[in-house]
Amino acid sequence: MNMKWYISRRVLWAVFATFIILTFTFGLLLISPNPEASAAAFSAATEGGDPEEARERVAEIRGEDRPWHEQYVDFMVSMFTLDWGNSFTYHEPVVDTILRAYPYSVALVVPPTIAAIIAGFAIGVYSSTHQYSLGDFLGTSFAFFGLSLPNFWFAIMLMMVFSVYLGWLPVRYDTSVEFWSLEHIRYLILPWFVIWTGAIASEMRYARAETLEYVNAAWTKTARAKGLDETTLTYRHIFRPALIPLITIVIGDLVGIIFATALVVEVIFTVPGLGLISYQALVRQDTPLVLVTIMIPVFIAIIGNLLQDVAYTMLDPRISYEERDA
Amino acid sequence: MTDTEPLLQVRNLETQFHTDEGIVRAVDGVSFDVYPGETVCIVGESGSGKTVTIESITRILQMPPGEIVGGEVIFDGIDLTTASEKEIRRIRGDRISHVFQNPQGSLNPVYTVGAQIREAIQANRDVGKKAAREQAIELLDEVGIPEAGARIDDYPHEFSGGMRQRVVIAIALAGEPDLLLADEPTTALDVTIEAQIIDLLLRLQEERDMAIVFVTHDLGVVAEIADRVVVMYASKVMEQGHVHEIFDRPAHPYTRALLDCLPGPDGVTPIEGTLPNPLDHPDGCRFAARCEYAIEPCFVGEHPSLLPADGDEDHLVSCLLYRDGHDESVIDREPRRADPFAVGDDT
Repeated sequence: MNMKWYISRRVLWAVFATFIILTFTFGLLLISPNPEASAAAFSAATEGGDPEEARERVAEIRGEDRPWHEQYVDFMVSMFTLDWGNSFTYHEPVVDTILRAYPYSVALVVPPTIAAIIAGFAIGVYSSTHQYSLGDFLGTSFAFFGLSLPNFWFAIMLMMVFSVYLGWLPVRYDTSVEFWSLEHIRYLILPWFVIWTGAIASEMRYARAETLEYVNAAWTKTARAKGLDETTLTYRHIFRPALIPLITIVIGDLVGIIFATALVVEVIFTVPGLGLISYQALVRQDTPLVLVTIMIPVFIAIIGNLLQDVAYTMLDPRISYEERDA
Repeated sequence: MTDTEPLLQVRNLETQFHTDEGIVRAVDGVSFDVYPGETVCIVGESGSGKTVTIESITRILQMPPGEIVGGEVIFDGIDLTTASEKEIRRIRGDRISHVFQNPQGSLNPVYTVGAQIREAIQANRDVGKKAAREQAIELLDEVGIPEAGARIDDYPHEFSGGMRQRVVIAIALAGEPDLLLADEPTTALDVTIEAQIIDLLLRLQEERDMAIVFVTHDLGVVAEIADRVVVMYASKVMEQGHVHEIFDRPAHPYTRALLDCLPGPDGVTPIEGTLPNPLDHPDGCRFAARCEYAIEPCFVGEHPSLLPADGDEDHLVSCLLYRDGHDESVIDREPRRADPFAVGDDT
């Protein structure tokens, strides 16, 4: 019963956080320029009309001449009913644009991220349990190499070598390729590699730092004194306790991978995922689309935090589900 | 006691740490024996090398930076310093167990105490989960945890410090060891709990006929439990012998000084100065700089080796004044304190 109550409280909190963020976004929208009105004013001016009048007419059509609290209620209602407006550039509901783009982002981000977490944790734990050994040195060096490499540069270099000079792989992404096909992998392998190298380094560093704390923990000594073999010991008494802080870091990190690395990679490899779409929306001042592409990471962060809280309670018995306040 | 074979023989053990500042000789030629069923106390100040000695025996010391560079640890005919990982793993927990100083950190916070005791049982015996659980409950009961069957699924943070130390002891008993290495197991506990834990260890020792090496800096505890005492100072053994010899006729000036630290009719007499720097031990006797009886030869050459005091082979001392040509009678060996500890014949 406690667990359920705890989770429902966290969900309520997530809804409340969403509410606050939407309110804040509304405030930002209220003061940001409106490209549609600017366009109308511009065409009115070129045709000899009154630009101010055109601007007001657009505002009237869009309901922006009403008091702000009416607009606010409208905005909130449309947000919660997923009526997020139409894209100026795609001339369709932004939700449709997003739904069309997200499978590409998922295909691009998920496989290398999972691979990076697994490999990064494995190397990180090896490094911490073999501190100052050659393996630790190589692992740490690799991490710094991956971390220091600018993604955009690395992506362009890989593209030059494998696609342009060697001609082994396609240069541009092609949306006509069957989504679930081996051929598709030929298009994805370079972007995967870029995301993987970028992510593995940070996962490895986190795993090393977090597990290092437990390599010399008193309970590790107790476990060794029991006669456990090193593999069991490392898994149960070093990695497992470190998993709690690692989950926090990884979830925070994932948002970063998806919306920083993936954006750059999508733009360079012209993969029509969320990153490329939000980049183009920004460049073309497609406000509704920009809004949505900004809201998505915010929601992911909120949901991520929620999942993290739930994962905590399962991993760390010391966290109670009971009321913390009052 | 000398008639039986020793269970454990530590011979000239040398353990070093490689640090950025240089090599720390934490254990520098330490020797002692442990006979079956007896209690040996290793006493000394903090930093004298007691813990490193203990953890070198089963090699649970972090290596690197630690390294055993010399000597032997003979247990059951095997030299543990050169035994394979597999051999030593079979001995750990099964024949030699540890109890550590800090019950706070000795248990993994993410597993129930039952799971951690079971792990110790299953590491050494091929038993199923259910049987191991039954055994774990028995062990918890044996170390005096009330309602063991209910408490077994609790997590360490749900136990008090004293109860946690009982759990650690239960883990140590899981393999039915011949030798228990207890490293200041009561230092972190308050006095009433300390007494309970010591009583528990003594009871278990009797019931299970196991030898205990008990590391402590508390001479009160030594008086209560020890059969024999090893006095360590600055990585060396200064003196060792039967507990009565040590308390009633301490041979080494350091032992004498340690005993004077106990509260007596004249209050306490602290030892002036500090331990020498372990990175750079001084020439001669390690204790010379703080010794009230030190003479010139004490400051040169090697640290004196252990030799019988009073011609008694079981009472060894490493002090120049006991060598030929010197007069050890300058050392005041009569107990100054009114003996607050009943070091009876049958403790």
